[in-house]
Amino acid sequence: MSAAARRWRSMLTTAALYALAVPIALLFLFPYWWMCLGVFRSPRQVLADPLRLWPESFDFSAFAEIARVGGVDIWVYALNSLGITTAATVLGVCVTAMGAYALTRRPELPGFRWLRAGFLLTIMYPYMLLVIPVYIVVFKIGLLGSYAGIVLFLALGPIQFFLFDRFFRTLPKEVIEAATMDGATEAQILFRVILPMAMPVLATVALITFLINWSQWFPILVISRSPDTFTLPVALLTMNGELGASFRAIMALAFATTLPVALLFVFAQRRVMEGMAAGAVKG
Amino acid sequence: MIAAVDLAWRNRIFYAFVAPFAALTIVFGVWPIALSVQVSFTASASALGTTPTYVGFANYATVLADPLFVASMARTLLYTGLAVVANLAFAFLAAALIDSPRLRRGTMFFRLALFLPVVTPDVAGYVVWRWLFDRSFGVVNAAADLLGLPPFGGIASVDTVLAAVLIAELWHHAGFYMTIFLANLAMRDRALEEAAAIDGANTWQIWRRVILPQLRPAIAVNLVYATIQFLKTFTVVVVMTKGGPADRTNFVSYYAYQLFDQGRYGEATAMATLLFAVVIALSLGALRFVERSEVR
Repeated sequence: MSAAARRWRSMLTTAALYALAVPIALLFLFPYWWMCLGVFRSPRQVLADPLRLWPESFDFSAFAEIARVGGVDIWVYALNSLGITTAATVLGVCVTAMGAYALTRRPELPGFRWLRAGFLLTIMYPYMLLVIPVYIVVFKIGLLGSYAGIVLFLALGPIQFFLFDRFFRTLPKEVIEAATMDGATEAQILFRVILPMAMPVLATVALITFLINWSQWFPILVISRSPDTFTLPVALLTMNGELGASFRAIMALAFATTLPVALLFVFAQRRVMEGMAAGAVKG
Repeated sequence: MIAAVDLAWRNRIFYAFVAPFAALTIVFGVWPIALSVQVSFTASASALGTTPTYVGFANYATVLADPLFVASMARTLLYTGLAVVANLAFAFLAAALIDSPRLRRGTMFFRLALFLPVVTPDVAGYVVWRWLFDRSFGVVNAAADLLGLPPFGGIASVDTVLAAVLIAELWHHAGFYMTIFLANLAMRDRALEEAAAIDGANTWQIWRRVILPQLRPAIAVNLVYATIQFLKTFTVVVVMTKGGPADRTNFVSYYAYQLFDQGRYGEATAMATLLFAVVIALSLGALRFVERSEVR
């Protein structure tokens, strides 16, 4: 094969790969585009021409339609989403960091193996079926319908634990030995030496926990007693189940639910993707 | 015993570190699971009271004799099998494509496009898909019409509902599995491929004989994750189909939840325990399968 022919072949292969990858990527992104279109187009317009790729006009009335959903202001849902997600993330990161540190540093201590086994058992249990008995437990400890019940339930998660677990395992022993020689207490070692080193992992875990918890809906629905503690996804689900809910209002609420995490992801994409992969593979 | 207590006391600071984690794991994990198992042995009417009536395996007998449950379990297993194969095959091909050095410029865009659905709230994604599949409203049918294909029944037809749900779930999950494959591909030993190429191996042989064996960790992780993931398929059913049409998507987790909603706690928790057993058995089976293929 001559050099020119080889170059042609190489270019053709590249073109073929792009011809495959571009449509797949566009297909994956299309639902987002269609959701945005649905916000601006009236149901009649959509029926007349479902495939239209640009709205006839920019009609923002859909956002007025979702000002109140299920008798509660949209701002309540938005603030619930932000508050519950943030609180569960902060709590989850702190609790998991300390817990995973103790479990990986001294696995031989009495009870630690049992605790790890219990945690692994929990994450294997079908999530939605765990929520059923959790309802009973939350009822028994008197937290039904409270923000505390929701936040406490959302705090722990497998990916978060495995990310910390992996980081603490790979920590060089010399670091701790040096600190011990300097006469540091265990608390000082954790808070002054280890956690500052773990800052990148803490950031990754916080980011991923935020994204995961923002999407949560079932535990929130089950632990809530009224729509006052619902978050945006739960409100969206309620609206989705309502007969006669307007199509563009549903799209507008789906848009409002998606936009914050989509933006967060786009800004921190590398960290999110690498973190999720590392948390799953767990080393 | 005394030695253990002494050891624990001398290391009490570690127990202090682990205490909040332990409390949450127990209160929201171990205790509910134990409670669920306990409730599965009681009569539903008394299950939540202070003095539950124990009925032995009666709930399990009822559940296993319920043709709806047996059908539901069979459909769950069928769907899991289809979804695992479809998702992992797609994720692998997408990873192989994106990993290609020829796509240098586009790689980040493709990764982003395929991973964005993973972090999109599943309720929002499935709500959009529900409307995409709508017969008169949706794009799927309009596009099929445009291409001269027969109309796609989507979530309204018993013949196509599994496919429709599978497509929506693949959109939501495949990017995650793809990322695992990509992470594994990035760690592989490229010198082996160069050596194989020098020995005259073609692209197919290099993938089959050199790259694929190195992807075992990713395949194992993905297989176990996907199996667990699809066995407990729930949100997509709640949002898109409510178990229908004709119970075609009434998977075990959804069926159990409906019973729970009707106050049939004993049967619901019996189903939960059975599904849990299947999850453990199948994920261990998946691990075994991967380990055995390693020996070969």
